[in-house]
Amino acid sequence: MITFTNILKEYKINNETIVALNNINMHIKKGQLVVLKGASGSGKSTMLSLMASLCKPTSGEVIIKDTKISKLSDNFSSQFRQENIGFIFQKYNLIPNINVIDNIILPLIPTNPNEEFLNTRLKEVMKLFNIEHKKNIIVKNLSGGEQQRVAIARAMINDPDIILADEPTANLDEKLSLSFIQTLKELKALGKTIVVATHDPLFFNLDFVSKTINMKNGNIIDYGNIID
Amino acid sequence: MIKINTYLIEFAINSILREKTKNLFIFIVFTMLIFLLSSIFLITASLQKELNITADSLPDIILQKMNAGRVSDIDINRVDKILEINGVNNSVSRVWGYYYFENAGINFSVVGIDQFETQYKKSLESITLKHDFSELEDFMVVGSGVKKVLEKNYYKDYFNFIKPDGTFKKIQIKAIFDSATNLESNDVILVSKDTAYDIFGINENKATDIVVNVSNKKEVATIAYKIKMLFPDTRVITKEDLKISYTNIFNYKSGMFLSLFIISLFTFFMIIYDKSSSLSSSAKREIGILKALGWKTDDILKEKFYESFLISFTAYIVGIGISFIYVYIFQAPFLRDIFMGYSVLKPQFNLIFAYDLKIFAMIFFLSIPIYISATIFPSWRASIVDADEVIR
Repeated sequence: MITFTNILKEYKINNETIVALNNINMHIKKGQLVVLKGASGSGKSTMLSLMASLCKPTSGEVIIKDTKISKLSDNFSSQFRQENIGFIFQKYNLIPNINVIDNIILPLIPTNPNEEFLNTRLKEVMKLFNIEHKKNIIVKNLSGGEQQRVAIARAMINDPDIILADEPTANLDEKLSLSFIQTLKELKALGKTIVVATHDPLFFNLDFVSKTINMKNGNIIDYGNIID
Repeated sequence: MIKINTYLIEFAINSILREKTKNLFIFIVFTMLIFLLSSIFLITASLQKELNITADSLPDIILQKMNAGRVSDIDINRVDKILEINGVNNSVSRVWGYYYFENAGINFSVVGIDQFETQYKKSLESITLKHDFSELEDFMVVGSGVKKVLEKNYYKDYFNFIKPDGTFKKIQIKAIFDSATNLESNDVILVSKDTAYDIFGINENKATDIVVNVSNKKEVATIAYKIKMLFPDTRVITKEDLKISYTNIFNYKSGMFLSLFIISLFTFFMIIYDKSSSLSSSAKREIGILKALGWKTDDILKEKFYESFLISFTAYIVGIGISFIYVYIFQAPFLRDIFMGYSVLKPQFNLIFAYDLKIFAMIFFLSIPIYISATIFPSWRASIVDADEVIR
């Protein structure tokens, strides 16, 4: 499903080259839930960005669903994301001054969806993530947990096969974090392939996590136990 | 068939409303610019139409005697010699001049007519056919503007002209002059030729000028040349010469305004470009989020296009709408005076309805596409950067 081959990713900041990922080789199967674990700056978020085709590797290949996404043009990358990826960002990346519905439908807007389909899909995700009663509220007026549910609903609106979550519980209390973990379990049960980048210990000994990849300074230091 | 993406348009409208203050400011400035330019062109079109109608009613040729570079009275016996030229339809001597009405601080055009003479223009002909002045010793027919001014100054039925020797000449108002255009009739007072001679103190063997009409309009230039050869001390002005000079005056004035407009429009777009090219971090972030959610660069540009088109096109329509109201309902206060020059010396007149679609097309293409480009280009630059870089 997701394959990284000899991935090198460098960033140039003020004429200085920083290696974010160094010679990464990895494979994630369809339906797995993988946790990328490591301290800040270890390269977890860069791994997710490469999987979502939000950036290109300096060298190496990223293959998802038999598509070499690291070679796709900008427009095809966007289309690939639109069709296959649901991304839950660390800071949610919602548009703060529009309402819940308008935020959730954002990924579908360019596809000019059929109204009936959109309404049905919207109802499904809002119900699934218990946000229906807040649908007309401006997002900046929601609590952190509610904003995260909006972000998850938005990631799910296009019914993606792959869900990527970057530090999803960083801004949540333990109760909400556990609720989010429960949501992930349900999504996995739906057959979604999920990759979570986190350093939250709550994720480390979950029985439904397929594997935990331990990262440090842009390298994978441990592939963890593979459950399925 | 291309299906319009209403969700994208809705999102664009939402985006405009989210930046209410900024977009309202741009809208107001844009509307003002369009309003100003459109008003200028509407005034020009109206005055040109007015002048064309007036010019059409003018005689084909006007003959003025020149003396030391100044216009002086001309011998009326020259009329007979002009009539001998082949192709001349009629020739009439005119007695007319400007009479300054001190109380109101304006000039009237006093024109002498003879009931039994061939009239050189239709409006005068209709007056002489409609009214019989032959029994009256002194009479006057006034334009509506003159009538208003006189009434304001307590002259309801008559007016006292002051002759060059300082004595008064009381003349009864017989009728109101009615003509197709304001400029032609508004400031005019028609009197008998004898009265005109008396008011201006002109010798009865002389006239202010001589007008000539030609049967075949293609021969006007040739006949004008012949007259000039016959009377070298005269200035021969054709109707075409007058039309060109009128057009030149208005083209010059509207050209000046157009230059000013282009400079202000250019400055406006530079400010817009400067503001937009340093897109705020939240605007950049929003573009990054949309990219991360699967929006293509084209989708973002389309959305930005809708945003800028909605603002600029609405401003364009509103600006033009207001200019129509300003020019044709409120009669363009301030701007009209600039175009009319020393119009305070003339009675008030109304701008007649005239417009040129080509001008509106020109304003459209001079403003909207430039504005759209100035706003879209910075968004394009932000959207081609890796989304990862923007949202991190």
